[in-house]
Amino acid sequence: MTAILFDGIVQGLQLSLLAVGITLIYGLGGVLNLAHGQFAVFGGVAAALLVSSGVHPLLAAVAGVACAGILGILVDRTLLLPAYRYRGEERLLLGLILTLGLSFVIDGALNYKFPEFSLTFRLPIQVIDVAGIPMRSAGLAASLIAIVVFASLFAFLRLTLLGKTIRSIIENEVGAELCGIDPGRTRTLIVCLATMMAGVAGITQGLFSSLGTEMGPEFTTLGLLVAVVGGVRSVNGTLAAGVLLGIVNAFASHYVGAYVAYIILLCAAIATILVRPAGLLARFT
Amino acid sequence: MKRYLDLAILAVALALVPLLAGDSAYYMRIATLALVYMSWTVAFNLLFGHTKQLFLCLGALAGSAAYVSVVLTQQLHLTPWVSVPVGVACAAALGALFSYVSVLRGLGIIFVGIVTLAFSLIFHNLVLGLRELTNGETGLVSRGLGFPLLERPVAAYYVFFALLAGALAVYSLLMRSRSGMAFRALSDDELTAALSGIDVTRYKVLAAAIASAIIGAGGALYGFYNGIVSPSIFSFVGIDIPVLIGLLLGGMRTRLGPVLGAAAFALIEELVRPFGQLNVLVYGVLLIVLFVAFRDGMVPMLGRAFGASGAFRGTRAPGRASPPGREA
Repeated sequence: MTAILFDGIVQGLQLSLLAVGITLIYGLGGVLNLAHGQFAVFGGVAAALLVSSGVHPLLAAVAGVACAGILGILVDRTLLLPAYRYRGEERLLLGLILTLGLSFVIDGALNYKFPEFSLTFRLPIQVIDVAGIPMRSAGLAASLIAIVVFASLFAFLRLTLLGKTIRSIIENEVGAELCGIDPGRTRTLIVCLATMMAGVAGITQGLFSSLGTEMGPEFTTLGLLVAVVGGVRSVNGTLAAGVLLGIVNAFASHYVGAYVAYIILLCAAIATILVRPAGLLARFT
Repeated sequence: MKRYLDLAILAVALALVPLLAGDSAYYMRIATLALVYMSWTVAFNLLFGHTKQLFLCLGALAGSAAYVSVVLTQQLHLTPWVSVPVGVACAAALGALFSYVSVLRGLGIIFVGIVTLAFSLIFHNLVLGLRELTNGETGLVSRGLGFPLLERPVAAYYVFFALLAGALAVYSLLMRSRSGMAFRALSDDELTAALSGIDVTRYKVLAAAIASAIIGAGGALYGFYNGIVSPSIFSFVGIDIPVLIGLLLGGMRTRLGPVLGAAAFALIEELVRPFGQLNVLVYGVLLIVLFVAFRDGMVPMLGRAFGASGAFRGTRAPGRASPPGREA
C-alpha cells in the first residue's frame, strides 16, 4: 500500500513539474501551450546527445535544460507574436492552434532525425529505505529535483520583485501594464522558465525510465490534464493536482490496469472543467 | 439554377475521376480517401466554421461509428444495413451530447476543444483496453463483413461520392433554411444572436448532431471499405489535423471550401509521402502558416480574384471580408 502511495507521489511530482509550465504560460501569457511536452522531449534529447558525445551527465543535463529554455524564448519572440496581438478568447484560440502546429513541427523533426532514440541516465539501481519503505534511488533523485525546483519557484514568486511582477500580471495584465510593467518582457521570461522546467521534467523522466522522441504528445496531454484539474491559473493548485493524480494513477494502475487508470484521469479532467469551473473558467463565465 | 452551378460542376468533375484513374487501384484508393476527408471537412465546417464549436474528436467520432458497426456486425451478426445506422446514431448522439453539455456549462471555444480532446483520448484508451471486443492495437478485420459494393474500387468510390453529395446537399439545404440564417448569426456574434431571439442551444446542438452523423457515416463506411479498423486509423493526427488543415486551406464558412481544401490537402500529402515521418512536420508548418497568414482560405481568395460572381461566392454573408472575431 505505502509503496504504491510513494510511487504515486514520485510520479505525481513529475506530472506537476510538467504541468506547472503550462499553468505559468497560460496564467501569464494567455496561451495554452500544446507543445509543452515537446519542450520536455527537446531538452531531454539535447542532454542525451551531449552525454553520448562525452560530456559529463550533470553538465549535459544543465545544458539540456538551457536548450529547452532557449527554444522557449525563440518561440515566444517569433511564433507567438501573432497571438499576443489579440486578447482573451481570440488569443487563446490562435495560441492553441499555433502551439499545436509547433508540437507537430518538433515531433516531426525529432522523429525524423532520431527515429530509434531513447535517453536513459543509468543511475545505479539502488534500493534505499525511506521511513521503512524501500524506494528506488532514481525515483528518489527525480523527486528531490522536482521538490527543489518547486521550492525555488515558490521562493522566486513570493520573495523577489520580479516574482511579484509576474503575479501581478497573472492577476490583471492591463492593470500591471498601467503600473509600468512591460508584459512582453516578463512573458518571455516566464515562457523561458516554464520551458526550462519542462526540460527538467524530460531529463528526470530519463532518470527513472527512458525518454523517447515519440513521447511528446503523451507528456503534453498529461501536463494538460494536471494543469486543468489544478485550475490552470494556480501554481499551488497544479502542484497539488499533480501529486493527487499521480497517486490516483498509481492506485488505479495497480488495481484496474493502465488503460482504465488513464481513462479515470481523463474523466477527472473533464469533470473539473464541467463541475468546478472556478479555477479554470473564472475568466470566461 | 445558377445558385447550384458550382456544386454541379464539382459533381461532374468528381464523377469523372474513375474514368481517368479507374485502372489503378492505388489512385482509386487515394481518390476514395480524398472523398471521405471531403465529407468530414464539410461536416467540420458546420461545426467549427458556422457554429464555432472546436471539436477535436473527429477521429474518435468516426472511430466510434466504425467500431460500433463493425463490432455489432461481427458479434451479433447484424447486416451492415442495421449496424451502420446504429454506429452513425451513436456518433450523432455523442456529438449532440458534447455540444449540449458545453452550451449548458457555457464553455469557451478552448474548453470545448479540451473536453473533446480528452474524449479522443478516452476513445483511444477504451479501444485499447476492451481487447476482447476490439482486438486492441491490431484492430478488427472488417473485410467481407460490410457491403459487398465497398470491396470493389470503382463502386466504393461512388458510394463515398454519394456520401459527399449527401453531405453537401444537407449542408446546402440547412444553409438555405432558417437554420442557415441562425448559423450565420451565431458565427458572427453569439450574444447578439441570442438577443435577437435565436435559440443558440438548439442550433448549436443541431449543427453538432448533423455534423457528427456525417462524420460517423464517413467513419463507418470507411471502416468497412478499409478492410480493417484499428485505433491508429482513427487517430487525432490521422483525421482531426488533416480535416482542420483542409478546412483552413479551403476557407471556413464557404460551401466549396472544405471540398477544395481537402482535395488540396490530399495532394500535399501525396507530395510529402516519400519523406516518411516528415509529414507530421509538414502538418505543423501548414497549420501555423495557414492560421497566421491565410485565415480566409482559398475559396474567398478565388472569389475575389474572379470578381466574386457565381461559383466561388460560397455561403458567406455578402459584404463581410474578414472572419468574425478578428477585430476582438
